[in-house]
Amino acid sequence: MSERVHDPIARLAVLLSRLPGVGEKTAQRLAFHILESPKEYARELSQALLALEHDVRLCSRCCNLTAQEPCALCRDPLRDGRLLCVVETVPDLLAIERTREFRGRYHVLHGALSPLDGVGPDRLKIKELLARLSHDGARTESDAAGASSEKIEEIILATDPTVEGEATALYLSRLLKPLGLRITRIAQGLPMGGDLEYADQVTLARAMSGRREL
Amino acid sequence: MLEGPNGQGKTNFLEACYLACTLRPLRAQRLAELVNFGADAARVTAQFEMRGGDRAVEIEIAQGRRVARLDGKPLRDPDELFRELAVVAFTPDDLSLVRAGPDLRRRLLDRAVQNRHPAQLSDARDYLRALKSRNELLRQGAPDALREAFDGPLAQVGARIRLRREEILRELSPFAERAFSQVARGEATLALSYQVAGGDLQPIVGESESALSARLAQGLSARLSRDRLRGFTSVGPHADDLSISLGEKPARAFASQGQARAIVLAFKIGEIENLRAQQGRAPLLLLDDVSSELDPERNAFLMRSLAALAGQVLLTTTDADHLVGALRDARGEAGDVRLYQVRAGRIQAG
Repeated sequence: MSERVHDPIARLAVLLSRLPGVGEKTAQRLAFHILESPKEYARELSQALLALEHDVRLCSRCCNLTAQEPCALCRDPLRDGRLLCVVETVPDLLAIERTREFRGRYHVLHGALSPLDGVGPDRLKIKELLARLSHDGARTESDAAGASSEKIEEIILATDPTVEGEATALYLSRLLKPLGLRITRIAQGLPMGGDLEYADQVTLARAMSGRREL
Repeated sequence: MLEGPNGQGKTNFLEACYLACTLRPLRAQRLAELVNFGADAARVTAQFEMRGGDRAVEIEIAQGRRVARLDGKPLRDPDELFRELAVVAFTPDDLSLVRAGPDLRRRLLDRAVQNRHPAQLSDARDYLRALKSRNELLRQGAPDALREAFDGPLAQVGARIRLRREEILRELSPFAERAFSQVARGEATLALSYQVAGGDLQPIVGESESALSARLAQGLSARLSRDRLRGFTSVGPHADDLSISLGEKPARAFASQGQARAIVLAFKIGEIENLRAQQGRAPLLLLDDVSSELDPERNAFLMRSLAALAGQVLLTTTDADHLVGALRDARGEAGDVRLYQVRAGRIQAG
């Protein structure tokens, strides 16, 4: 921090303008909006921001972001502990949750293997995944703290359909094979409700090469 | 027809046309080179007659990044554009490709594929990323398990790229070989084929993408120890070549300069005729001062082919009279030629 006294409004505007999709003008408007709102708003907002920094951590089990330990998904007794879906990021997890189709549990890798960006297996939450799978079954009353037990039978690899995502899925599938679990990869292809005619060429080409027997 | 002395901006105009059609540079190596020296950004706007009527394409390049709009709306998926546009360019650079290194011939082939399969572009990007990743891992001496994880996508995308290249070559070879026999009357016959790096990876007729992908993956692991030493992946479409032969001899070593130029001319004509046969319309053709590099007889052949082409041609020359004359000789009249003068970056009718 410099010795200079910052103009608090300008300071806030600068910080807000770092947010994605927020330009300098918008940032300034937001800053004035906060200034003109009831005082509690600024206080609540700042507390919410501090809470992000103080309270949000990684779930020790699935590496999802959470304020509670373990996270709500790991504690929920209604989730099917036999299915484990591995995703790259928390937004990916939320996207799958929104479908309401999947009732198993998750593991968040926090990235994908990318040699060009210097991301190797040790930079991802793979150790945590392995630990989880080997503890699994041996888990006992020590988890009574809240996590409902899981007996994983199938691992669904839901990394992105990019070079890095594919490589990560392949890497995990070979790594996990000795465990004797069922390992699957999410399918790629055409979006539902879409028209073949309007599908982009890459998706269509992949859907063609990934076709299945009926 | 754009006429003007050298250094007036004729090639820049064709460069802009190619960018508007493909979103990629024609001769420049990087997008940033398309921006005028000292300027912050470059902008190209073009009006295309497409099936859905007139459409406006706008491309802006600033700080090495490209933003494209179609009818004012950001173009999310470039395929949207490519599906409707095919463009064949012919520049003096192309004339050396018979005797140059293989990368120019691969580019020739890939540009031909791209007109037929727009998906080739994003597959090529993925392939390059997988290849660079694998090479990086080879150099790092990374564990096998990690490297093999990248062999998978590399082989998979590689197989797709290679099969499309083989397919385009099957399609256009007959056209190109016929064009060559017309331009080089009585000389040796032209034969084009896809040359694969690696004896175990030779083409198998009718092979499926997944079968080729498996074969490529095997080829990668078979060469692992050598690749590790060199820090470079030795097989795959990035190492393949377009094999060109005259009679039984490799053109790269045996073709004269005149023959080498005739081969490129024949390939381009073959590409155009194939596109017309496959898509029912001729591509937009861009010719950059090629006539001055061809002898009179080959130039006459080029002009005859242009005159027979139903599509639009944009060509640059330093000598319009000569070219119009050649066109007239080719079919008795010059046809619908519009002449523009290019001086100091400005284009004027006349």
